[in-house]
Amino acid sequence: MNALYWWLLLAFLLFCIGAFGVLARRNVILVVMSLEVMLNAVNLALVATANFRGGARGAGTMFALFIIVLAAAEVTIGLAIVIANYRNRRTVQTDTYDELKG
Amino acid sequence: MPGGDFHPWYFVIVAVWVLVCGLGVVLFRRIMYSAVSMVFCFLGVAFAYALLNSPLVAIIQILVYVGAISIVVIFAIMLTEVQSGKLELFFNRQTAVAAVAALLGAAILAAVSLSANIGRITDASKAPGLRELSNLIFARYVFPFELVSLVLVAAMIGAIVLATRERERT
Repeated sequence: MNALYWWLLLAFLLFCIGAFGVLARRNVILVVMSLEVMLNAVNLALVATANFRGGARGAGTMFALFIIVLAAAEVTIGLAIVIANYRNRRTVQTDTYDELKG
Repeated sequence: MPGGDFHPWYFVIVAVWVLVCGLGVVLFRRIMYSAVSMVFCFLGVAFAYALLNSPLVAIIQILVYVGAISIVVIFAIMLTEVQSGKLELFFNRQTAVAAVAALLGAAILAAVSLSANIGRITDASKAPGLRELSNLIFARYVFPFELVSLVLVAAMIGAIVLATRERERT
């Protein structure tokens, strides 16, 4: 079996760990951190495929680089929203964010 | 055992490192422990990139994730942490459902990836080298490259606007 499958398996396991964190934890900052873990797993799959398969004019590596930059932008905005919300509500627990509930 | 042009034990070490630190991120009760575990997880992923013949991605991973994003996350934790003594109850009613969903997702992804016909895969590395990569960034992908800098400026301004304390309006 080619090494690519092992790397993909690792990436998928990491992705599911991150998904578990997003689904199970209630602290918003921890949800953001789990999202970062999921993005890392996707990047790992992209880079592994770019290494062992190639083709597509290096798109795998390039996409990984762009995803890293956009993840930086995403975490900045996300945590700014968390801090702005914390200033108003004094909490970071997701189950207390129910102001829009009818 | 995975092949490739490196020793298979390197893969095992990196895989165990990444998975253990990733589990630490989602399982630690204290969020600061989770943050430190996240830093080590990102470091392990950077080693994985280095093993995959993509040193530029590994360096950028360390700069952006281990350097910048971790600092932002730790600052956010320090600005918001409310838990004094009483820890957050971790095993809530979502945990079982989330665990089942994550395991199901892992099983589906593993089944798909192991049975997929990906195409011409070899053990020889086909990752673009530094010269090829710089050609790609500054020729073929130059428009997305510039666009990404615009996104970064917008994100920075947005974060400043969101996070600065509003003055009292008169």
